Amino acid sequence: MDKPNSPDPLTPADQALRFTQRSAAEWVTFMVASMILLALVGLICFDWQTNQNHPPAFTVTVSEAVRVTDGRYYIPFAITNTGGRIARMVQVTAELHQVGVDDETGEQQIDFLSGHETKAGSFVFTHAPQAGELVVRVASYRLP
Amino acid sequence: MGQPLDPAPHPVTPNIWLAEFQAILQGAVGGFLFGIPLLYTVEVWLIGSTTGPRWQLVVLAVTLVGVSLLTQVEGFRQTLSLHPLEGLLESIEAVAIGVVCAALALVLLCRITLETPLSEALGKVVFEAVPFALGVALARSTLEGRRGRANETDAPSASGPERLANRRTTAPISRRVTALSRVNLSDALVDLDAALIGAVLIAFSIAPTEEVPLLASSLPPLWLLLIMAASLGLSYAIVFASGFTDRAKRQQRGLLFSPITETLAAYLVTLLASVVMLVLFQQLTPNDPWSEWLSNTLVLGLPASIGGAAGRILI
Repeated sequence: MDKPNSPDPLTPADQALRFTQRSAAEWVTFMVASMILLALVGLICFDWQTNQNHPPAFTVTVSEAVRVTDGRYYIPFAITNTGGRIARMVQVTAELHQVGVDDETGEQQIDFLSGHETKAGSFVFTHAPQAGELVVRVASYRLP
Repeated sequence: MGQPLDPAPHPVTPNIWLAEFQAILQGAVGGFLFGIPLLYTVEVWLIGSTTGPRWQLVVLAVTLVGVSLLTQVEGFRQTLSLHPLEGLLESIEAVAIGVVCAALALVLLCRITLETPLSEALGKVVFEAVPFALGVALARSTLEGRRGRANETDAPSASGPERLANRRTTAPISRRVTALSRVNLSDALVDLDAALIGAVLIAFSIAPTEEVPLLASSLPPLWLLLIMAASLGLSYAIVFASGFTDRAKRQQRGLLFSPITETLAAYLVTLLASVVMLVLFQQLTPNDPWSEWLSNTLVLGLPASIGGAAGRILI
């Protein structure tokens, strides 16, 4: 009504007329908008079908590229959720067993790990991991 | 109104594409204003990340219903009353605009990257799209509330298309060049003051939260430039491109600054306000490295500049 070209109060007939006056640009917007929403719904359904029936499962890989800085050994690792569903509070532990020295342990908690998601981090030890036996494993997680 | 482009009032706007673009831009602006506070909320990202597809569809449907109810009252386009079916079409458009804006904002803040799994990205977009979509539907009624009819009885120098094209730059050039009078200076200060008020209003509730350092620390290098560009672009879009501005009032105020200069000046003011707020909440201390000062300020500067722009068109 703030348009100068529609000064009269609208009757229902006018409203029907106005509907037919939807401009080409508005139709283009509507079509693009519907496509965006349909794509979103489609992706959600796709995710539903593919991922939700597979419980979380994990693989942890420890990189060989150990970095030494100031006498400490930084051991990069990557954890992947090979299942479909999301896991929370994933606990990754690393133990370094060495003959003659106390065992060293590291612990890492990952807040969220979605299906097929990979997160990376590092464990830090004071002894060279090559000299001993390094065990990295997932200790626990919980479902959201 | 003697211009050939606008000879007489016509049922169809001369340039429907420009008008439509402006309507979408207005909706997007409203979406950002409403969506920004929830965008800077870590809980929403987490809820989005952990929600299953079924619930995502429910949230999307509820959003559509809510937006439809709002659209029944007033759509984001320039029409006050709508045919019910057209209201539905407009709601679908509003939700789609909200989805796109939310997705862009999440990418801008690195909440969605190429590494983000599909389900997490979808959840975040769906949940962040709720406030954005509501903002789109409310854009006109909120941001245009103060707009008078004054700009229809506008200065004779401004013709229809010109009015559409350059909102606040229609003052005669001579006036702009000789504008450094005391009156105009104080007018410009009013604008910067409004930017400051708007920035504080929006960003004050974000400044003490942990999201600011969290976002700032997770941004890749050079991403801050993108955030700066987005802050300036949104600020410019809100004040000058979306057509919310009350031009008549602006003309009376005079134009010390060109639109770009004003956008830059207002951005500096909002950045200053951001630093002050962060220092006030002890988020930044002299012991922090300068890079943290910079990144935190720019990250808070995004909502602050949006608030500042809203302040400039409302106050």
